[in-house]
Amino acid sequence: MKKNTLVFSLVKEQSIFMTVVVSVLTFMSVLALGIALSIGTGVLRWNNQWEKYATVQVANLDNTKIVKKIFETHSDKIESVKEISQSEMERLMRPWISSGAKLNNYLPQMFEIKLKNPSDMEFMKKEISTRAKFLTHNSALKTSMNAGWKLVSITTFVLMLILISIGVCISYISRNIAMLHKHELEILNQVGATDKFIAHQMQIIVGKISTVASTIGFLLAIPIILMILQTAHSARLGLLATLALTVNDWLILLMLPVLIIIFSVYITKKTTIKILSKN
Amino acid sequence: MESKTTISFANVSANYDHGRDVLTNVSFNISAGSFYFLTGPSGAGKTTLLRLIYQLHKPSRGQIKLFDQDCDGISRNDISKLRDKMAIVFQEYSLISHMTVFDNVALPLRVRGISTDKIKKLVTKTLEWVGLGKYANVYPIELSGGQQQRVSVARAIIIQPSILLADEPTGNLDDENASRLMELFIQMNKMFGTTIILATHNRKLLETYHFPIITIEDHHVSFASALSEKASESNRKWKGPKPQSQNYFADISKQFENIGNS
Repeated sequence: MKKNTLVFSLVKEQSIFMTVVVSVLTFMSVLALGIALSIGTGVLRWNNQWEKYATVQVANLDNTKIVKKIFETHSDKIESVKEISQSEMERLMRPWISSGAKLNNYLPQMFEIKLKNPSDMEFMKKEISTRAKFLTHNSALKTSMNAGWKLVSITTFVLMLILISIGVCISYISRNIAMLHKHELEILNQVGATDKFIAHQMQIIVGKISTVASTIGFLLAIPIILMILQTAHSARLGLLATLALTVNDWLILLMLPVLIIIFSVYITKKTTIKILSKN
Repeated sequence: MESKTTISFANVSANYDHGRDVLTNVSFNISAGSFYFLTGPSGAGKTTLLRLIYQLHKPSRGQIKLFDQDCDGISRNDISKLRDKMAIVFQEYSLISHMTVFDNVALPLRVRGISTDKIKKLVTKTLEWVGLGKYANVYPIELSGGQQQRVSVARAIIIQPSILLADEPTGNLDDENASRLMELFIQMNKMFGTTIILATHNRKLLETYHFPIITIEDHHVSFASALSEKASESNRKWKGPKPQSQNYFADISKQFENIGNS
């Protein structure tokens, strides 16, 4: 920014203090937004991953043929059908039901189906549910997704708190600058400067500091976000492994420091004009 | 010279923090182009009167009109607009210590968004006119009291105000500098028809320059003609260096015409 202020000059300590405060807050806000976006993207991906899947449990084995017939009839809607074998079922159920011949009496016939289109899920449910239990994977994993959305809400709330803190800090710093430069403010008023002009001078100072500080905060936050994503991916399975940032997410993240600068400059204008109008 | 009323007070009273009145029921009209001395004992309310005119203080009662504009309930933006036509010089100079003499004098022009080239020309001319041409790049602290006062005057006159208010501008000056400053004000008044109100304790000034006097006493204002009508132009002695050009104001005026601020 080439613009220079006419009158105000910040002492070194003031500039350092303001740069540090805004850097730390920008760092925290980029981190909070990064986590919120990556969880959001993860949940959406997780949701997309399972929305075509359903498990069909045939408790009355007499219905197995009928269910298979339904699969055949609607093969245009089904991408794949995987029949879960008896041995696989035994292996899955053993921790809960003791082994032995009795187990076979309780095991249902299970199919995992993948539909071509998630919108056909309701239709298939209607067709099958009279003969067997139809469980969508989506509803089975709803609690995980709800937990994911709750995490997104919490991190968004934290982000809001950080943005409010930035507003309060900038307002306080602007007030401080105005008080420290009261003499200059009075002289500017005396020589005919409008409040808008004086506020603009303050905006130049805060704008410059915020630009440097938000860049520092942003650059510090990016490696941390990448580390979080890498650690999450190392889980390989579950919601955690789906955490990711899309190109749009990165663009939104990049916009945050810009938003912080604009927000700081706006708060400075409001605060300065308020202080001047009280004089 | 216009005879229009520039400053009008009608039953104006003023106090600080709702305390006792400093001024009570003050009424007067001042025509454009007049030159008044403002005198009275210390604490009588001379500064308050100037602050009221310059809209640095609000009256508790009464009506103030400047350039026919009622100042009651005037917005801060409108005050700034009024100050485009007014300037004030304080006894304590009110200079910004971390800015050079040039930058201090340029401040009113920068505030008005005037171009750098024009600012350079105007400030250079004005500084030469007040005899500080070679001090443009020094800081106020490096100057004597008299020189600082001249910087303050240069800053006030650079916008070629219609009203110039000066609060004890010669208070910290020796006779030579006081006389020099008075000549600057008289030149401004004569050449531009600037309305000048100059607050002073200096009896010698009141006797030397025969301008009408506004006296503040017991919270009231009274008007009187000059102390010594005998004092004439020839009695006045210019002790400082003469302005380098007879047409200094004319030069400055031309620059202002271009800016549209005349």
